[in-house]
Amino acid sequence: MRRRALIATVGAGIGGLAGCLGGGGDASARDDHPAAQDLDAQPSLGPDPADADNLLVAFEDPSCPTCGRFETETFPRIREEMVEPGDAAFVFRGYPDTYDWGEPAIHALEATFDRDEAAFWSLKAHFYETQSAFDADNALDRVGSFLDAETDLDADAVVVDARDEAFADAVRTDVDAAEGSDASTPSVALFAGDEFRSLVSGAQGYDVYADALNV
Amino acid sequence: MTPSLPSSGADWRLVARTVRLVLGKPAYALVAALAAVVGLTLFVYSLNARLINDLVLGGSLPPSNRLSILLNLYPVVSPTAYTGAESAVLVAVAAFTGVNVALVAYHLLENATLRGGSGSAAGVVLGTLGAGCAACGSTLLAGVLSLFGATGLFALLPLHGLEFALLSLVVLVLSLYWLADGMRGGRIRGCPVDP
Repeated sequence: MRRRALIATVGAGIGGLAGCLGGGGDASARDDHPAAQDLDAQPSLGPDPADADNLLVAFEDPSCPTCGRFETETFPRIREEMVEPGDAAFVFRGYPDTYDWGEPAIHALEATFDRDEAAFWSLKAHFYETQSAFDADNALDRVGSFLDAETDLDADAVVVDARDEAFADAVRTDVDAAEGSDASTPSVALFAGDEFRSLVSGAQGYDVYADALNV
Repeated sequence: MTPSLPSSGADWRLVARTVRLVLGKPAYALVAALAAVVGLTLFVYSLNARLINDLVLGGSLPPSNRLSILLNLYPVVSPTAYTGAESAVLVAVAAFTGVNVALVAYHLLENATLRGGSGSAAGVVLGTLGAGCAACGSTLLAGVLSLFGATGLFALLPLHGLEFALLSLVVLVLSLYWLADGMRGGRIRGCPVDP
């Protein structure tokens, strides 16, 4: 109780300081923000992103260790406490910017998503769970083995599409959205209603997202 | 004037004794604590400038949300943003920065005539540079890299960027030695620095 009172008191001071500084943040409209373009073509969880009260658009690279921490530490709470109750939609966008194997991994994710969204989320989780086992030489072989063992997809067809970069346009769209948003990985663009709140970078804890969206 | 490097147990005991004597004065302990918090805050801000500007200093969130967001960006407080090793090194860098600043302040305010000469001046100069360089160098670099969207480069380093903080720690420890070395022959709170 005392801690809550302390937070409220000090927080009021910060609020006053913000008022003095006249800070207004970047309250640009969601429809104009690069991260929120082409959402209907992206894998998402929870309510329809177009209608959701709150929206999180995550830019991730399967090869990025910090994205791995976000996936294992923060994402489960976002899914359980925001997405599943219907308070927010979560959208994934791939942005290869760390290790070489991140690029074929993202092409494989797009090829998988085109066939089966549930398999996409399984493959994404698999990348992070076994991140240290991947490299540029074995990435697509491991994708094929996983999809063959864990899904009903034609794993060889997915691997061929990934190797041929059959979904290069989809990957390019996400890269453009990331660059237009000044995102690194992981970065999560937060939208409340029609308003862009901010871009959270790094594997921040759940409370940062909950407080930012006031959920 | 060539700064020497600590080379014996006696050198390290000198550093420990000087730090203990200076921080034994509550005012300088407070200076050290404040400088450590400021250093850590600069680091947190450099990594999260946009988020802090948008939501802590700006925007329309309730004050308690603003404070909670800010606190959750700090090492140790955040359960996920930093690994245990990163938190430990960053807190150590902040603590050593604080101690450096306290020693520099003590040296300038109360101890300037202790030994005089080039050794003392070198201690202050190197101590100030050490604290400033370590506290700001790596964090500014991180901030500059993030401005250019190049933080992914850290992932390519063996320790994912922790190298910069470890380098800062080395510089800070050396600057503490140089400061203590410059205070040899004097007294702090009535006690000889170099008994």
